[in-house]
Amino acid sequence: MEMLHYDFMQRAFLAGALIALVASALGVYLMLRRQALMADMLSHVSLAGIAAGAYLHWNPTLTGFAIAIVGAVAVEYVRRSYKTYSEISVAIIMVGGLSSAVIIMNLDQSVNKSFSSYLFGSVVAVNRTELILMLAVSVLAALFFILMRRPLYQMTFDEDTAKTSGLPVHWLSLAFSVVTGMIVAAAMPIVGVLLVSSLVVLPAALAIRLASSFAAAIMLSMAFGLGGVWSGLAASYTFSTPPGATIALILLAILLVGIGLKKAMLQAAKRRSRLGIASAPDTPFEATRFTSAVRAAEKGESRG
Amino acid sequence: MALVAMEQVVFGYDDVPSLEDVNLEIGSGEFVAVTGPNGASKTTLLRLMMGLLAPWKGRIRLASRGAGGGKLAIGYVPQQIAAFNSGFPSSILEFVRSGRYTKGSWLRRMNARDHEQTELALKQVGMWHLRHRKIGELSGGQKQRICIARALAMEPDLLVLDEPTTGMDRESRFGFYELMKTQTEQYGRTVVMVTHGLDEVSPYLDRIIELERKEDGKWRCCTTTSCRGHFSPAHS
Repeated sequence: MEMLHYDFMQRAFLAGALIALVASALGVYLMLRRQALMADMLSHVSLAGIAAGAYLHWNPTLTGFAIAIVGAVAVEYVRRSYKTYSEISVAIIMVGGLSSAVIIMNLDQSVNKSFSSYLFGSVVAVNRTELILMLAVSVLAALFFILMRRPLYQMTFDEDTAKTSGLPVHWLSLAFSVVTGMIVAAAMPIVGVLLVSSLVVLPAALAIRLASSFAAAIMLSMAFGLGGVWSGLAASYTFSTPPGATIALILLAILLVGIGLKKAMLQAAKRRSRLGIASAPDTPFEATRFTSAVRAAEKGESRG
Repeated sequence: MALVAMEQVVFGYDDVPSLEDVNLEIGSGEFVAVTGPNGASKTTLLRLMMGLLAPWKGRIRLASRGAGGGKLAIGYVPQQIAAFNSGFPSSILEFVRSGRYTKGSWLRRMNARDHEQTELALKQVGMWHLRHRKIGELSGGQKQRICIARALAMEPDLLVLDEPTTGMDRESRFGFYELMKTQTEQYGRTVVMVTHGLDEVSPYLDRIIELERKEDGKWRCCTTTSCRGHFSPAHS
């Protein structure tokens, strides 16, 4: 616990915990909405904002944050044009964002040189602005996920049935995209542009396979995310490895071990079922019994 | 009073019209089947009815209030929805209970009526005993049943079902038709269902809406046939 004596490590653990919790909860919704690559796309788009901020001598963190939100809203509108193939919208916006970033970086070579911290993350060097931003985003995102959990569940399962049951799916989906953009932008200092999707996708990928309910999937994903980030930071401090990449590798290891354990449990369950534990059969629709009884009574009356 | 009315409705995809001259009315408490060959735009007709698609021309009126005076509740079971979302990490109970989310505020606590209606819906489709299972562990027919249960748990004024008996065995299909008939007779609910199995379901129906090709081979229109008096119940 020697590492926790340092201010920069305390900040890293706090920032990591905040983002791990909201990013991994977000991941469950993104995966189930078939938008797993959205985090990756938004991180690349926000690179254009960071480059523009650095070139214009504005705060790159804030410009990256703003452009990530703009990208999230844009992808929501493009997604509606390609409803069946929503991944096309991700590709279109990513090309626009990344190519803009490369051109802006090329305008000023000094901007280009300071980019490695954005690409690979520098959680131990999180500054005060970034920490405040992370805290604000985490509080807003947590409120959104808690207050909107029921509409989000319905929209995530199926947008059409959510619409017919009276939900304002258009606005809810737009708000979800904005929250996604905010979380991705705030997560970038932790694992960097190139690995931000690891924080969003990997904990959710395992939680979805293991959870027995939707609420459990969210909680498990948050637990895996937090565990991965904290153990990644500790391993990075101990072995002097880059924190972003270490966190991503540990999250990957958690996913692989979890999938392996799940498979082993399934094999054991199959063995048990061979020993005679069968699955429960269907029971008939209740109206069958109800109507048959009514008809039998009617027949009895008519005969009588 | 008509719950749904369509007048001179035209709709198509890209520049190609797929439905034309659609005129129909569906009254409160009716059990109606929509039928026609593959590609006849049956699903499109349902989506137009519910306001999920906007017509190119014509008028569509959907009642804003249900029979009880509250906001019209629509229980929709899309085609193959169960197969599409097979990996959704949710228990059956949690999923069917989500049908109650639109009753009142999003943040309210689930009350006794919510629990009763969820239980009733699951029992009506014969899935109560599997309520703690995950959706992904169910067969295609069972998934279809819980989607129907979720729609029933909403206590809907209008039930719209797109080929709901896909994946069900013969006994289950008849059980389902009887359940839908009870919904119209006991609760005054309106049921609109796309089906290819008219031979089986027609004894239970009030009307059939048939989508046909017009003589020029391009357009399709609706004709409605009354079932009352034309068929006798299969089980009687």
